[in-house]
Amino acid sequence: MVLLSVADLEVRFHTADATVHAVNGVSFELEEGETLGLVGESGCGKSVTSLAIMRLLPQPAGRITGGTVTFRDAILTELPEDEMRDLRGKEIAMVFQDPMTSLNPVLTVGEQLTETLMAHRQMTRQQARARAVALLEMVGIPRPATRLGAYPHQFSGGMRQRVMIAMALALEPKVLIADEPTTALDVTIQAQILDLVRNLTADFGTAVILITHDLGVVAGMTGRVNVMYAGFVVETGTTAELFAHPRHPYTVGLLRSIPRLDDTRHEDLVPIEGQPPDMTVAPRGCPFAPRCAWREERCVAENPALEPVVPGTPIVTTGPGATHRAACWYPATDEEARHGAPLRAAGGAA
Amino acid sequence: MSTSDGALLRVEGLRVYFPIKSGIILERHVGDVRAVDGVDFELRRGETLGLVGESGCGKTTTGRAIVRLYRPTAGSIRFDGQELAGLEGEALRRVRRQMQMIFQDPFASLNPRMTLGSIVKEPLTIHGIGSPKEREGRVRQLLEVVGLNPGFVNRYPHEFSGGQRQRIGVARALAVQPDLVVADEPISALDVSIQAQILNLLERLQGEFGLTYLFIAHDLSVVRHISDRVAVMYVGRIAEVASSRDIFLGPLHPYTVALLSAIPIPDPAVEARRRRIILKGDVPNPVAPPPGCRFHTRCWLRGRLGNPAECEAVDPRVRDLAAGHQVACHFAEQVDGSAEQRLVTGRGAPPASSPA
Ligand SMILES: Nc1ncnc2c1ncn2[C@@H]1O[C@H](COP(=O)(O)OP(=O)(O)OP(=O)(O)O)[C@@H](O)[C@H]1O
Ligand SMILES: Nc1ncnc2c1ncn2[C@@H]1O[C@H](COP(=O)(O)OP(=O)(O)OP(=O)(O)O)[C@@H](O)[C@H]1O
Ligand code: SF4
Ligand code: SF4
Ligand SMILES: [Mg+2]
Ligand SMILES: [Mg+2]
Repeated sequence: MVLLSVADLEVRFHTADATVHAVNGVSFELEEGETLGLVGESGCGKSVTSLAIMRLLPQPAGRITGGTVTFRDAILTELPEDEMRDLRGKEIAMVFQDPMTSLNPVLTVGEQLTETLMAHRQMTRQQARARAVALLEMVGIPRPATRLGAYPHQFSGGMRQRVMIAMALALEPKVLIADEPTTALDVTIQAQILDLVRNLTADFGTAVILITHDLGVVAGMTGRVNVMYAGFVVETGTTAELFAHPRHPYTVGLLRSIPRLDDTRHEDLVPIEGQPPDMTVAPRGCPFAPRCAWREERCVAENPALEPVVPGTPIVTTGPGATHRAACWYPATDEEARHGAPLRAAGGAA
Repeated sequence: MSTSDGALLRVEGLRVYFPIKSGIILERHVGDVRAVDGVDFELRRGETLGLVGESGCGKTTTGRAIVRLYRPTAGSIRFDGQELAGLEGEALRRVRRQMQMIFQDPFASLNPRMTLGSIVKEPLTIHGIGSPKEREGRVRQLLEVVGLNPGFVNRYPHEFSGGQRQRIGVARALAVQPDLVVADEPISALDVSIQAQILNLLERLQGEFGLTYLFIAHDLSVVRHISDRVAVMYVGRIAEVASSRDIFLGPLHPYTVALLSAIPIPDPAVEARRRRIILKGDVPNPVAPPPGCRFHTRCWLRGRLGNPAECEAVDPRVRDLAAGHQVACHFAEQVDGSAEQRLVTGRGAPPASSPA
């Protein structure tokens, strides 16, 4: 069952000297129990997309200027703020990259957890306390009853991230948005946290949107993935299909530009040339064109839509049978993807 | 520790402590952050040694002590036969010309009020290299070498992207034609799409100028790609040093094995088959490192062996287990051929029971 539906979402930031085209018509759906990865380089709109879903865009600069977000029957983009506040945490919860931004530094972890539970779950203080202990235990905090009295700064980075996850899962939300939940952590701690998220979501059937720039994390954690570039989804499909047969030149570039731990051949890395896009310029043509080795004249003039890579395939948007789609006029072949560059002679920028 | 000919740099017993003071009026010395606490390794001319380990294990402090941005608390740093540990003044300035550092944060490490040209020229001026006119020429040449447009000399750092700023840092480091470059996480702050640009640049320059690199990183995939040899640090110490091949195909320290197992591989088919060694707990605090073996609070092998007393009581010395392969673990022999080792090297079938 589809829980969350994002349709043609457009977000702009109006700053003193420019308009930032942060999200430019993003559409995707999320069904119960699945884990969707959002990948792409810094500034491509991953966080802004999720903040828009949560209606937590920085004010007054950030505005949803188009599209809708629907959770079950509720159109979130039209919901009054008090109803939205009710829904946050209870139906859709978010784990932020920097836990200190969402933990209150002057309240103990116990106070924060019990307040949330009492407000939303009509529990007595005693019941809420017992549940808080259980939650901390579930995320692997040792001696949870004594740790309830500790303040956020008294926890290590990994522990704080666990507390954040405990808070996000306190009300058993249907959707969990995790924005780079492990980026600031060491790899051995990252492995602990990802293991935890994997087990919890399997136990509760929570649908997860996992934002990361680490393709390894995507490969290990997600069933489906959206690759974003310059505020667009440029490729989507099941994680297995997308990694095995990347079609969009940007995805191809990402996969060829990172060294792999299990690479014994010392293959040359193929960097993506050029610079990340300037988001203050209104997009025209394909956003990846300035850096694309596959580019042809048409690319500069017309922005391709996200279409099935096998033309005419019916579109399935969610689950293990999701249709592989890419937004590209001249998608890479498997051979080109392995090579990291176009093989045909005509045209091209490189 | 065995030494071999051709060592450009030899570090022995290096310690760098940061004192912790307390009290407002009378500052009392109440303890030390033992950031680097007895480290030995050597760097051969023309090679790349990767220095890896988790946050706070002492990588940056080691690198900064080598180029003598920090004064070592104890130990010896021999560079090209010369002892650097106690060096001061003019003599220090002279050897510094041979050792340069590239910093992690290309945003913080460049003076925002200096132009590109003056940033790259500064080390030439400090070391009195060339006439003013020759310096201008050298700057242009360096910018070309690192792939920056020499026409940009009058621009300021904020006008460049992260990748371009890191190129500026590389050009600046190369200006004085150093022998040794300490690159401290040179790509960590960059977007994945441009990390490869800088990695390829560093590899190319090494070939062109015969540079020796100490390459500091926490990302083992990157380290595997660029390094000839790898040193793994844990809480101020070296846990294991070996050729890149041996570290990745035959790791012998339980920490190295766990670290390798924790790194995600960008391949869903590989990830689906993979099992991880999930370490318990956090990295210990270097103010009071665990007694005995520093890894004993998290070690998966110790439990397997029935918690032998040595692990908690005796600090394991670095031992030679094979030619050029040094390990600081009492029971490293037990790692060789273990299911866990096979798990991370991809050799043999995964073990029937889940590890640790
Ligand atoms: N408060 C803001 N004011 C102006 N622009 C903003 C603001 N927040 C984000 N942006 C811009 O919106 C775009 C998308 O940003 P977003 O934070 O979604 O990127 P991201 O994909 O999450 O990147 P990262 O990987 O660095 O977290 C960027 O160009 C960013 O500069
Ligand atoms: N100037 C300083 N004063 C006091 N303590 C310091 C100082 N510099 C580093 N430390 C401490 O020394 C230890 C080692 O730090 P170092 O920066 O060398 O680690 P690192 O391995 O480079 O970590 P990272 O991967 O996070 O860069 C840490 O506990 C750190 O907090
Ligand atoms: S081939 Fe054209 S449409 Fe496809 S990514 Fe490159 S520039 Fe864009
Ligand atoms: S000495 Fe003991 S605790 Fe330390 S790494 Fe070896 S087995 Fe583990
Ligand atoms: Mg973000
Ligand atoms: Mg460091």
